[in-house]
Amino acid sequence: MSPLRLVWKNIAGSAFRSWAVFLCALVVGGLLFSTVLLVRGAEDSLRLVQQRLGADVVVVPEGTGDRVETALLMGQPTKVWMPRQNLDRIGGVAGVAIASPQLYLASLANAPCCTAEMFVMAFDPQTDFTVTPWLNRHLGHNLGLAEAIGGSDVFVPYGEDKIRIYGSEIDLVGSLERTGTGLDTALFLTFDTAYAVADGSYTKAVRPLEIPPDSISAVLVQVEPNVDPRVVALQIAHDVPGVTAIPGSGLFQAFHTQAGLLSRIMAALLGTVSLLSLLLVGLTFSMAVNERRQEIGVLRALGATRRAVLHSLLVEALMLALGGGATGVLLAALVLYLFRNLIVASLMMPFRIPSVPSLLALAAGGLAVALADVALAVLLPALRASNLDPATAMRE
Amino acid sequence: MRALAILIVILAILIGVLPQFFNCQYDGKGLVLADGRQVPMKCYWTARASLAVAILLLALGLLLAFSQQQETRRALAFLGAIAGILVILLPTWLIGVCQHPGASCNLVMKPALILMGILVVVASVAGLVLSSRRPEPTA
Repeated sequence: MSPLRLVWKNIAGSAFRSWAVFLCALVVGGLLFSTVLLVRGAEDSLRLVQQRLGADVVVVPEGTGDRVETALLMGQPTKVWMPRQNLDRIGGVAGVAIASPQLYLASLANAPCCTAEMFVMAFDPQTDFTVTPWLNRHLGHNLGLAEAIGGSDVFVPYGEDKIRIYGSEIDLVGSLERTGTGLDTALFLTFDTAYAVADGSYTKAVRPLEIPPDSISAVLVQVEPNVDPRVVALQIAHDVPGVTAIPGSGLFQAFHTQAGLLSRIMAALLGTVSLLSLLLVGLTFSMAVNERRQEIGVLRALGATRRAVLHSLLVEALMLALGGGATGVLLAALVLYLFRNLIVASLMMPFRIPSVPSLLALAAGGLAVALADVALAVLLPALRASNLDPATAMRE
Repeated sequence: MRALAILIVILAILIGVLPQFFNCQYDGKGLVLADGRQVPMKCYWTARASLAVAILLLALGLLLAFSQQQETRRALAFLGAIAGILVILLPTWLIGVCQHPGASCNLVMKPALILMGILVVVASVAGLVLSSRRPEPTA
């Protein structure tokens, strides 16, 4: 009988032990993979939103920073207003290269006039640097009146060819790449379209869209080259009363903290599970070695070296760990991929599946930890078994 | 084999029950017509169809648990795999779910049916492999 066949016979011969090791490796591998993937996915998502906004400084009405960040990340519509003249003041601050205004609006939910509740962002095509570069690259022109582009989850309803916002029909001319954040459900249109929709809403919608005159919601700022955005943000906060200026690096701090907290909780859980599985696998294999003392004695008497006995037990455990770890990683990947939208909605945290090379690296990491956990647990009982005296073992 | 049959029975129960509580009709979000009537949306019909496939799977799982003949087990496992594929196809291609990505049918029902369908296919294929193996000669 070949050594591998002997290992396979041992695996098949003891269902309880085999399942215990398999399941421990499955839980450790799957948990590690999903923990790292969740945290990595959230960080990836935050990075992509910051890139897409492209702003060095975001200026919002004083005290509304959290609401605007939640709107941008989770797509929860918000309405915040500040005087339009702030735009000129911000543009005049030293170090500011471009200042572009935005309007944050919300479509109506469950109303016959509207497709669905959406976060609507209106931008000024003259100064915008968030959506316009994408439009020029993909459409070759900026948005016209009654045209919009949407996040990846914005759709035109069945049987219709346009989206309806406050009773006005809007042509969806493109969709942005998925970010795993609220921007996926946001609609982007120009100021002119927003004002036209607001004017029409008084006669077409169940409730009018009210945009206060001479008001804007936020100003996105690009600073001049070699100028520190944090310094510009401080200067804006000093020069323009009633606003909060958030430097790009300081955006979404609450969500970064939340991701850090989640990663610490998951790390503690992973540590506990790894320790428990280490104890369980170690105990199971200790019992197995005790049960198989005579069998091991016979093997040694037939000429098997200590090394061969040690190898046989280690290979048996590692084969089970490999199977369990791989199953755990696959299952975790499948569950996270399928339920990614539910994760975003219930954890209130952005999440985006990372690239394939990152995924493969994470899977390899999960598998390696599961293998190491089981190998460590089995090492002591395996060494004890290999050191058994054949004559004594056979007599017992 | 009995463990696989029990797994299929558990999955069949979940496939039958879960979609009944995660569809837009259950959430009170049916399509309201101009005359006030409510029309069930796609996900409601997917949930109903899942119930039909679940009953079939439940019977298959129970038969698999109690059958002794290898050939019968093989045939049942093959049918189980087909039923698993149907469970995946119901929300993705045959009927579908609603368009709104935030609806409970999109958040829970569709991914759950796909996951359970995959597990049914894997369990059935494992059953097929196990029932196709020749018994080892005894000494």
